[in-house]
Parts: sequence; C-alpha cells; structure tokens
Amino acid sequence: MNEEKRNLQPRDFEFVQADSKIYDKKFETKPIGYFKDAMIRFSKNRTNVIASSILGLIILGTILIPIFSSKNFEVLEAELAFLPPKIPVLSNWGIYEGTSEKENIPVDLTTIDSETGLGLPITYQEKEIDMDSLTNYYVECTDRDPLCQDGENVLSVDVGATHVSIISEEYMTLTKTKNPSIEIDIFDFINEHDSVLNVYVKPSFTDPYTVVGTTNVAGVLTIDPFELFPDLNFPMITQIKIELVSTDRTDKVSINSVSVYDNSQDEPIFYENGYELSQYTIASDDDGAGLFVRSHGQMLMADFTFKNYVSAFGSHYRFMPASEYNLIMDENPQCVSSPHPDTVNYPNGWVFEEGCPVEVVFTQTESVVVEGVEYYSFETMLNYQLYKGYEEVPYYFFGTDLNGRDLFTLLWVATRTSLMIGLVVAMINVSVGVVYGAISGYYGGTVDLILQRITEVIGRIPWLVTLSIFVSFFGPGVQTLILILIVSGWIGPQAVTRTQFYRYKGREYVLAARTLGAKDSRLIFRHILPNGIGTIITSSVLMIPGAIFAESTISFLGFGIGHGQKFNVFGIEFSGVSVGVLLSDGRMYLLDHPHLTIYPAILISILMITFNMFGNALRDAFNPALRGSE
Amino acid sequence: MGRYILVRTIWILVIISIILSLNFVLLKIAPEFPPPTEEEKSIYYARQVTDGYMTVRVVDDAVEVEEITTAIETNTVECSKCYYKPNEVLNPTKYWAYEPVPLSHQYFRWVGNIITDWNWGFSTRVKPNTAVFDVLIGKNADGTYSGNSRIATTLKLNLIALFFYIPIGFGLGIIAALYKNSWLDNMISLLVMFFISVPSFVVMTMMVMVFGFQLQWVPDQWPPSFLATSVQLRALILPVLGLSFGAIAGLTRTTRAELTEVLTSEFLLLARTKGLTRTQAVIRHAMRNSMVPLVPGIIGSFVFLLSGSVIIEKIYGIPGTGLIYLDAMTEGQYDFNLVLGITAFYTIISLFAVLLVDLSYGIVDPRIRMGARR
Repeated sequence: MNEEKRNLQPRDFEFVQADSKIYDKKFETKPIGYFKDAMIRFSKNRTNVIASSILGLIILGTILIPIFSSKNFEVLEAELAFLPPKIPVLSNWGIYEGTSEKENIPVDLTTIDSETGLGLPITYQEKEIDMDSLTNYYVECTDRDPLCQDGENVLSVDVGATHVSIISEEYMTLTKTKNPSIEIDIFDFINEHDSVLNVYVKPSFTDPYTVVGTTNVAGVLTIDPFELFPDLNFPMITQIKIELVSTDRTDKVSINSVSVYDNSQDEPIFYENGYELSQYTIASDDDGAGLFVRSHGQMLMADFTFKNYVSAFGSHYRFMPASEYNLIMDENPQCVSSPHPDTVNYPNGWVFEEGCPVEVVFTQTESVVVEGVEYYSFETMLNYQLYKGYEEVPYYFFGTDLNGRDLFTLLWVATRTSLMIGLVVAMINVSVGVVYGAISGYYGGTVDLILQRITEVIGRIPWLVTLSIFVSFFGPGVQTLILILIVSGWIGPQAVTRTQFYRYKGREYVLAARTLGAKDSRLIFRHILPNGIGTIITSSVLMIPGAIFAESTISFLGFGIGHGQKFNVFGIEFSGVSVGVLLSDGRMYLLDHPHLTIYPAILISILMITFNMFGNALRDAFNPALRGSE
Repeated sequence: MGRYILVRTIWILVIISIILSLNFVLLKIAPEFPPPTEEEKSIYYARQVTDGYMTVRVVDDAVEVEEITTAIETNTVECSKCYYKPNEVLNPTKYWAYEPVPLSHQYFRWVGNIITDWNWGFSTRVKPNTAVFDVLIGKNADGTYSGNSRIATTLKLNLIALFFYIPIGFGLGIIAALYKNSWLDNMISLLVMFFISVPSFVVMTMMVMVFGFQLQWVPDQWPPSFLATSVQLRALILPVLGLSFGAIAGLTRTTRAELTEVLTSEFLLLARTKGLTRTQAVIRHAMRNSMVPLVPGIIGSFVFLLSGSVIIEKIYGIPGTGLIYLDAMTEGQYDFNLVLGITAFYTIISLFAVLLVDLSYGIVDPRIRMGARR
C-alpha cells in the first residue's frame, strides 16, 4: 500500500449513494467463478508463475529442439566421443572453448624443442595442444620404461638364495692395446651381512665367466679386464655380468651406471644407466634368484590444454572399402594425388593435396574376387571435418557422449521420453484410481472394507519385489517400467477419489437424483465425480513428477529403458533414452568427463523442481479452503 | 489397546505371508537359471531334491533315452525346468532325470523348509550353492564368517542415517515455523523444495563427483574393510548424506506444517494470556502437540530410507543387501533364490516398521488407546 492511500483525509471519501438509489443497479464487477478464482490465486504467487513458465519452456524445448536440431543424436560416431562443451559466443571469451585440461602425460623425449626446452606429450600432435599452456616437469618413477630415465637400479637376493646376477644386453669389444677399463658406479651399498659384489667377464666364448673385480662398498669400482689375462692377445668380446653374493634380502646394491672407457676417446665407449641398465636380465642358469628394480627414476611429464575439437575433426586413421573410397573420389573432384613421399615404407601409397577428405593412402590391399565382383580396400588417413562435410567445426553446446552423440539434443530427447512416460503412467494411474476409489467410496460398507484391505496389501509390497517379478517375466524395457510404476501408483488417486465420494454421496442433491430413479453409474459419473474432479485432477498433476522420479531411478539402475529401444505412444515414436539412462551412462566417467553427468543432473533437477512447484501451486489454487487468503 | 495390538500384528503377518507367497509363486513360474558349471549344477539339483522341489529318477528305457537325447541335441526339451544328467558323459545310455514337483507342493515344502530349518533356498550364481541367508550374513560355506554381513552393513548405514536426519529435520522445521515468512524460512523452503524434488541418485552422484573425485575430501567409493578406521568413518559421510537429504526435506516440511498449525491455534493464545512467555508456550504446548503425528512418521521413514539405500549402495559400491540384490538381478542370469531371500528381508523389515507405526499411533492417539474403533 503506498503512502497516499495510507494517509486518507475525510475529503478523499465521497458518498456513493448520496444522490442515487443503487438497489436496482447491476453489479459493475464481474462475478468471480471457481476457475477464475483459482487462476487469480495461481498468478498471485510470483515464484509459482516463474516456475510454471520455466516448466512450459522445458516442455516446449522437448518438442521443438529434437525437430530442429541439426546435430546427430542417434548414430554412433566413435571419433567424436567425449567432446567437451563448446558454446559459440562464450568460446571467444575463453570459457566453453571445447578444450580439456590434461595432466601427467609422459613426454615423448624425441620431440623436445631446443628453443623452449618443452617436449610434446606422447600420442598427441602439436596442433591439438594449446602450446601456451604446455608445461613440463619431472616426477619420480620406478617403471621399466624408456621414458623413465636416470636413477638407480637396485639388486637384491631373494629369501633363501645365496646370490643373484645380472647380465648386460650388449656384447662389448675390449681391445688390450687400447687399455680398456670397466667402471661400475655404485651409488649405495647397504651391506650388513658381509655381502660382496663380483664383476665377471668372459675372456672368450668358450671360457666360463671369470671374476675380474670385487667390492663391498659404495663408490666407483674401476676394473682392468686384462689384469688377470695378460696373455690374451685377441680382443675380448663379452657381456658384463654383475653378481651380488649375499645371504640376506635386506642387503641391497644400487647401481648408477656401467661404463667402459679406453684410450681412443674421452667419452666412454660404452655407457648404460637408468632404463638401459634396467634391461639387464637376471641370469637364470646359475641358481641365483633375486630382484632387480628401478628406483629414483625421473620421467618428464606434461600438463597442457588439449583442443578436443581440433583432434576430433583432425586426422583419423581409417580402413575403408573401395566402394566408399570411390564414392569420396567421385564427390570431391578437387582431390589430386601425388606419390607418397615415404617410398620406402609406403611404396604403393599416395597423398592428396589439402582440401580433400582423404589425406593419405598408405596401401591398397590385394583384391579378392567373389562371384565376379572385385573387393579391395584402402588404408587411409582421413580429414574428419572434410570427410563429414562440415564447413566449419560444429559446436556441441553440452559436448558429446561416449558414442559421439550431441548431448544437448540427446538431453531434450531424453526429457521428452521421461515426460511422456510420466504422463502415460499418470494417466493410467488416475484412470484406475478414480474408478477404484469411486466404487470403494460410493458403495462403502463391506465393499469398501474389502477393497481397502486389497489396497493395503498392494500398497505394502516393497518396490524391489515388484521390480524383481516384472523384470524376471518381461526383462528390462519400457513395458516392465510402466508396469512397475502402475502396480501401486493408483493407490494415491484412489484414496483422494474415495474421500471425495464420502464427502458428496450423502448430499441432498444426490438423494434427489436417486429418488428420481438415477442408476448408480449415473450418480457416480454424472453427479458425484464432477464435483470432486478438480481436487482429483490437481492432486494427480503431482503424479507426473513422481513417475519421472521413479522412472529415472529404475532406468538408472538398468531395469528400465535404455539405448537402442524405441516405443510408440499415440503413434509417435519415442527414443528409449531417458534422463535416468543418460545419468547412468555418465556415472562411469565421473572423473574424466563430468559434463556427461552435470547437464542431465541440472536439467532433471530443474524439471522436477518446477513440476513440483507447478503441481503444488495448482493444488493450492484449486483448494477452495484457501479462497481469499494471502 | 490389547485387542488393537493383536489385530494389527495379525494383519501385518497376513500381509507379509501374502506378499512372500506371491513373490515365491511368481518367481517360480518365471524361467529358471541354474548354476553355469556342470559340477555346481549337480550339487544344485541334488539339493533341490533333498529340499523337496524336484524328484529324481533313473531313465533306462531305451526309447525314452533316445527321445531325451534327440530333444537335448535339437534343443527342444519340452519341460524347461527339467534337467537330464547323462550317466556316462560320452555315451548316454541312462539319464538321471530331475523333474520339478507341482508348484503347490513346492510352495508347501518351501514354507515348511523356512519354518523348520530357516532354509530360504540356495544361491545359484552369486555364490553358488551357499544358503541364501548365509550369503546375506556373510557366512561362508565352511561355516566361517567373512566379517562382512550384508544385512549388518545396510542396517548400520540406515540407522546412522536415521539418527542423523531426525534432529536436523526437526531443527530446520522448528526454525522455519517459528520464523515463518522470514528470509530464513524462505531459504529453508527453497532447500526443502530442491531436495524433495531432485532424486537422491542425482544428489549422490553429484556429491561423489565433487567431494570424492574433484576435491578428494572423502573416498570416492566405499573402502575395503582392511583400511584404517578413519577412512571407514569418512566413507560414511557421503552415503549418510545421500540417504538423509530427502528424508530431512520431508521431515522439515511436515514439522513446519504441523507446528505452524499448532502455533496459530487458540489454546496457544490461551497459554500466552495466562502469562507464559513465548518460549514457554512454544516448548511446553506447541511442540508437544505437534510432535504427536510426527513420531509414527519417523518410524515409517525407515522404510523410505531402506528402499532408497539400494541406489546409494550401487553408486558408492557399498557391499550391502542392495548391491547384492542388483548383482542377483543381472540381466539374463538371475539368481532367483537370492532375490527371493533379499526381497523377503526387505518385506519383513519394512512391514515390521509399518507395524511399529501402527502401534505407535495406538500409543500416541488417545482415541485408539481408549479402545475406540478407528
């Protein structure tokens, strides 16, 4: 109430009937009927109006968006799986750009750029990476992997074994005149049980391994291999064998590197550490047993922003039959081929100039003739964007799911399915409930008693019981789903109807109609039901969100509908994907692809909240007891 | 009152037996899935005979053997639940024919087995040839206990959720009612609307994603039992929250409605006119009266929690009855005996909760207590 109206003065009032009679005048205002009153009360609550408008928009969206969407939401496209969201305007501002953050990807050491010192992560190409975001760092590793560099290799014996030995992979040539020396760099030697490290070489192929050096402490062990063989004049071609003689597994020797020097150059002629050293095999023919493990290795890792769309619409390897290849060639006259530059590996391959869907053909397989028709295929590298005929890279508002379908469209299709199942289930439940409740309420007495006992038994069946029975008979599917939802769903409408019948059946007008000879069915459907129908219907609106709730839960558990299913309602075909199914899909990828869960969760939340608010508002609006309040 | 208790108890027992019988008969009509391996299969069928659900006879009549052999080879065995075990594997000259007895006989044997031996049948796939009840309490075939009783896990989780949600639900409801139409009330109403509308699996999935995977404050799934107690305790947080959000919202809404109604009633005005302060009037008169219909509701909410825990157990990988139920219901390889046992567990627990609700109505509602008919 504004200020003017609050401070009223006597002159603000005037006598309505000062100079006229009003008893024969018509009402100037229109009478307010039941529905109009309800409408007024409904629109008074602004929150409810907003909620109902949002609900209306969602329902409109489920009808229109699947029709007008140009994106694929049915066919599986593995190449486009798991694309993150990308939204047209927002992507210019740096959000929803269609990129994802990748962490802890090992770096391909051959790609390290000498200028920036940064290396590319393995299996990723430079154009797929936002180079500004690329960072490299070292982490400790214990893998026997070429990417895990440096560090030591730790040798120890097994329980019960007396020794263990490792043998180098390569043979090295030691020439006496060059004055060679073998250096074993021992980083650490935990030696509490009188363990000894022996180094062996083979003077010639026929000789056994002979000890040339021994140590029991950490440090560099330098060995002259010819010291014991002064008479040996020809070069020694040998592997190096390192043996740990120990009785206790807690004694460990950590070896940094094995190297061989001679006087021909300053650098070692043979040097192995880290990964190469870890490839030394444990000798199996000398009864020794033990462990040879990596420790303190370093692996170069990369964190970067990955351009998923560039990657997905970039080059893809494809093995395609000749029919498809020829079709592409016919449709793209701009394709001009030239021989493959790598004639060694791909002698029969050829490349295409830019602008052609096929970038490279590696080989053409030999043809097979079946019933006079020649079959052969091509091993190709495709440009996916051109291959799919996109002028520019498309935007997927909510990204794509695990099968490369557009999540945005799919979500609306799923909501449509959910809504339709909710509607169908609510309609069945209300119809059954109204008839049942009408009979129970109208006849009363013994009929009512028996019918209500039956309701009580059915209403008390746990949903797991109905679920197992229907699933075991019909298997998961839309039929099972609807049966589960209607088996006890009609009990609510039944109770409301019964109450309404108890309320109206004793009224005088019913008695009057009965006196005039109206039959039971006429009394029920013409006289009592129309009076109670407002309450029944409005309380039934709340059945729809309830059914959607239950449907999504059952589908999430995998007993409802699923991908690939279809069903018909009123001649319109609906997809078997519901919001519960989408959430069930996303559950597997919570960590890596949260967008698969977030968007369906948000949509179903909004749908349920607005539907419940709309239902509550409708119920309050049609409740005559609240007339005039608020 | 005594009569009321007796009538309610008998009625609940009648409902339980109707539901269980219905469940048994319908699941027995459905196609059967015996254990997959040959060895487990023979144990299973031998046990079916001792339990009285099947008969066994030797088929040595040459004509009948021939018929059975062709029927098995062409996959046209008429009796889908029969099992013919060749005596000599390679050259069947005789069969052991296991054939089911009529369903009505099976039913009475089943009832008899439960009453005399507490024998709910044997699992066919999840833990082949282990008694169903032993699977649920984590008892191994050799009589040892694995330390993971599925029933205990589920009940523990649900009881914790029950005792967690009651004070919060009451508290929020009381606050909302006392500060009706303030911003606090609006805020609470908004949250109530949210948590009543949004399915618990959505809330739970989002919580696991945010607090489990992204922030890593709590484990992202149920930890194995050998991990430290602190991890076990932290792992309780998400499932308890996931179970109770819906229940809190429901209780808050009911408490608010009840208390608002009582607060506007005339006897409260009388209490104020007698000189009681608002606090005294609210605590002594309003609260006590509004609690009366709420107490049975809380007992009943245990059923609600229990059925909701199936989905929470699936999302969080909690080895309770819900998870093993879903395991037994794997499509195309159902373990019906186990399903029967688990659904019996849920039916009995929830109907006893219903009985408690009825009895508590009898205690708190004077009209029933005084013996008046409802």
